[in-house]
Amino acid sequence: MKRSFLMVVLAVVLGVAFAGPRDNSLVIGTSQEPTHLGDPLSSLGSQAIRSEVELYLYSGLYRVNLDTLLEADLVTEVATVENGRLSITSLDEGGQKVEMRLTLRDDVFWSDGTPITTDDIALVYEMSKAPGMPTASPDYWARFSFSAQDAKNFTVQLSPAQSSDLVGSPIGLLPNHKMRDAWEAAKTAVAALNPATDGARIGEIYRGFITDFGSSAAINAGRTVYSGAFVPTRWTPGSALQMARNPYYHAHPADQSKYVQSVEYRFITDTNALLFSVTTGAVDATSSVAITFDQAISPQITARAADRYDIWFVPSATWEHLEINQFTNVQQVADLMLNDVRTRQAITHAIDRQAMSDALFNGLQPVAHTNVSPSDPNYTDNVRKYDYDPEQAAALLTELGWTRGADGILARTVDGRTVRFELEFVTTAGNAVRERQQQFIAEDLRQVGIDVRINNAPSNVVFANTFINRAYEGAWTGMFMFAWVSSQASSLNAALYLCRNAPTPANNWAGQNAGGACSPRYDEVRDRAVAELDPVAAMPLYQEMQVIFAEELLAIPLIYRANPLVTAKGLVNFVSSTFSQGYGYPPVMPAVVGWEQNGATKRFDQAQYASQF
Amino acid sequence: MFNYIVRRLFQMLPLLFLASVAIFTLVSLQPGDPLDELRMANPMMTAEQFEDLRRAYGLDQPIYVRYFKWLGRALGGDLGRSRTYGLPAAEFIFQQRLPRTLMLTVTSLTIALLIAIPVGIFSAVRQYSAGDYTITFLSFVGLSTPNFFLGIILLYLFVIVLPENLGWRGLPVGGIPNLMWSDLQTGRVTFGSYVGQWATHLILPVFTLASGSLAAWTRFMRASMLEVLNQDYVRTARSKGLNERKVLYKHALRNGLIPIVTLVGLSMPSLFNGALITETIFSYPGMGRAIFDSLVNKDYNVAMAALTFIAILVVFFNLVADVLYAVVDPRIRYD
Repeated sequence: MKRSFLMVVLAVVLGVAFAGPRDNSLVIGTSQEPTHLGDPLSSLGSQAIRSEVELYLYSGLYRVNLDTLLEADLVTEVATVENGRLSITSLDEGGQKVEMRLTLRDDVFWSDGTPITTDDIALVYEMSKAPGMPTASPDYWARFSFSAQDAKNFTVQLSPAQSSDLVGSPIGLLPNHKMRDAWEAAKTAVAALNPATDGARIGEIYRGFITDFGSSAAINAGRTVYSGAFVPTRWTPGSALQMARNPYYHAHPADQSKYVQSVEYRFITDTNALLFSVTTGAVDATSSVAITFDQAISPQITARAADRYDIWFVPSATWEHLEINQFTNVQQVADLMLNDVRTRQAITHAIDRQAMSDALFNGLQPVAHTNVSPSDPNYTDNVRKYDYDPEQAAALLTELGWTRGADGILARTVDGRTVRFELEFVTTAGNAVRERQQQFIAEDLRQVGIDVRINNAPSNVVFANTFINRAYEGAWTGMFMFAWVSSQASSLNAALYLCRNAPTPANNWAGQNAGGACSPRYDEVRDRAVAELDPVAAMPLYQEMQVIFAEELLAIPLIYRANPLVTAKGLVNFVSSTFSQGYGYPPVMPAVVGWEQNGATKRFDQAQYASQF
Repeated sequence: MFNYIVRRLFQMLPLLFLASVAIFTLVSLQPGDPLDELRMANPMMTAEQFEDLRRAYGLDQPIYVRYFKWLGRALGGDLGRSRTYGLPAAEFIFQQRLPRTLMLTVTSLTIALLIAIPVGIFSAVRQYSAGDYTITFLSFVGLSTPNFFLGIILLYLFVIVLPENLGWRGLPVGGIPNLMWSDLQTGRVTFGSYVGQWATHLILPVFTLASGSLAAWTRFMRASMLEVLNQDYVRTARSKGLNERKVLYKHALRNGLIPIVTLVGLSMPSLFNGALITETIFSYPGMGRAIFDSLVNKDYNVAMAALTFIAILVVFFNLVADVLYAVVDPRIRYD
């Protein structure tokens, strides 16, 4: 007994993992663990790692490929006007209605061999319409309707439709034959409650219904089935989620034995520990939620890369920026004229964003000139750019009446008062990278005579609705640095900087336009762009919005982020791009991930979509 | 003694009620609510839809209403569901996180005690010897080395440096093994393999966690024994001609252990609330991370269940420590 115990300890110590090409498996390291799986309405909130893992387990009606184009997955073809499956009609009350007529493929099955039918879509639709069902996108489901013609043909409608409605799958699926009875029981339990007073209980019942099939215990008990290339075989909370090939998946490659047969997500929540896992080869690849940018360019990992792994930086649509308080009822805003575009232009000229990118990010996170990623199909480079030009900044500030005081800080007289240019600068405390950027920016601004008063707090404090959305009340009075995470859909919505989305008492503090930026011209073009469902016709409108954004500096763009992705040498098709599968999660087709050493064919080249360190 | 214990147990009730009110109020008063993230992520959400969501999360009601609803359900044994995980909060805490935390903390406490007591005795008996100086030096190193630093150094050493230089695969970087208790019942793994895999994962976090208390308890044990060894009754015992072993272990040790019993009693609740820093460094999914994450994510049911449980333990183990005084020290009696 004693001897066998020692042998086991030795075996574990000497060979923690035999992952990778040797057993045709893939071990992916991630710093986050899914809370649950199988939640097409995001009833328990959104979570990047959940979306990524679900790519392996669930097929969508469509998938978004590496070039941000839709491809049919469970359906026979993507609905387009040309193939007669998409129609757009005008509504009497204004706007347009979109109708998609889709057909499920005959060869698609759940992992128990049951055919996938419209009943599986109808279940999700029914859930989306249940009163009191918490969802992340109630606005979308309010405009959505569904009808099934038979087991394979169905129609979805969006009314009024928006251009973003045509991005990604219109609806998800859940196995009706497994979940219907539990759903009926949940509805019965809810029917006995009063929605006015029992909202929390109703929400809990619905969330419980989701987790009764999606929790680790439910998954280990085999309570449900899957439509993706893999099925979960074991989920040890806090340790790992293992998956094996789904024998009923419809799109395995013909020579599937050459591709990975099992995938394991290993949960290593501390990113330093995860970094060590990468360097020691304990994991074959990193998830999109793994090591930080800082860590990915650190010598600990780059010095050991050599012939062992590649370090990629996938351009992200997430953009770091300075939100500026532009509510003139706030005394400091009026005093500093932050609502005057020349002030914002001066601030932008004063910041050497390229030097900041070079110094802090090795130039791998490029300077942003607008709020739209260069990877976005609607991106235009033809916008006003603000190069580092402290003289121009000083000239603009002088034009606005500022003069340098004895202490080198700008000052001017307002109604007999002497006002110093002292700017409050808020960001998330504890985010070391962001705080370094803050120091960089503060130093640049001091060079042109702007004194910066740093006022950081933890993210849950500054992102509380009672802080970020209360610029109107002066909760923050100057600049607020944070990042907006974008998908192609949110980019098409472009709702952030609408005048009507500025949170004020008039709209009960709703809206994300935290600083109260307002350009009627931008709003007018945006509303036309969103209503234009023809992407070709919409493109010039989206580009005009970028021109206006840069001209009027609704916010000051700093950099576009890049997501680090580490892949072991020989691993192929574990590739992502800015918008692949919505937010750039790897891989776009899990079924074809494999090892070159085992004969897997390279179909996608990460070099086309990312920079290599 | 019995009456005393019953009286103390009744006194706990209003104390725990007040503690739960304080915890609920503090948790609820922290800035923001669980919907901030949803609101930030979806600029298209209307104010009306947002209000529907507030209702679905029970945030539309005043704090005191929410508290009494929580209390009513908690007294009925229903601690609600985790907003983040969807699981019943009790299952998440008591079945998933608590056993793992106990595995880590009880092991480190046991190791710390098993080493600290004999080493402390040795250090006291051989006062001012080379051994005593060495132990004192190492104790101060242990006391002054923060866990987060020691943990990272150990990881770097045993996961990267030694394996790279010795051609050894190294220890796991943290986390827990991919094992479940049911694996033993189903025969998926042997008992030896089960224990072995856990052992390799626990070595570094246990050592990191034990180092601080080991150093502190060694110092306490030494000081306590020195004090006892200079007492008259020890001198009497020696003058009676008892051998040194009997003097030490029969007469001195029992009294020398009293401060250690107090310290161990008071540290009992910390066995259950986890070790946030150690758990973080070693990606160990225990109670410390669960409590921290539930507060950051505003997962009220989990935070309430965990913190109220800790409050109960603090009160309970204070009582246990008081009772143990009477057991260890015959001079203490409760009526």
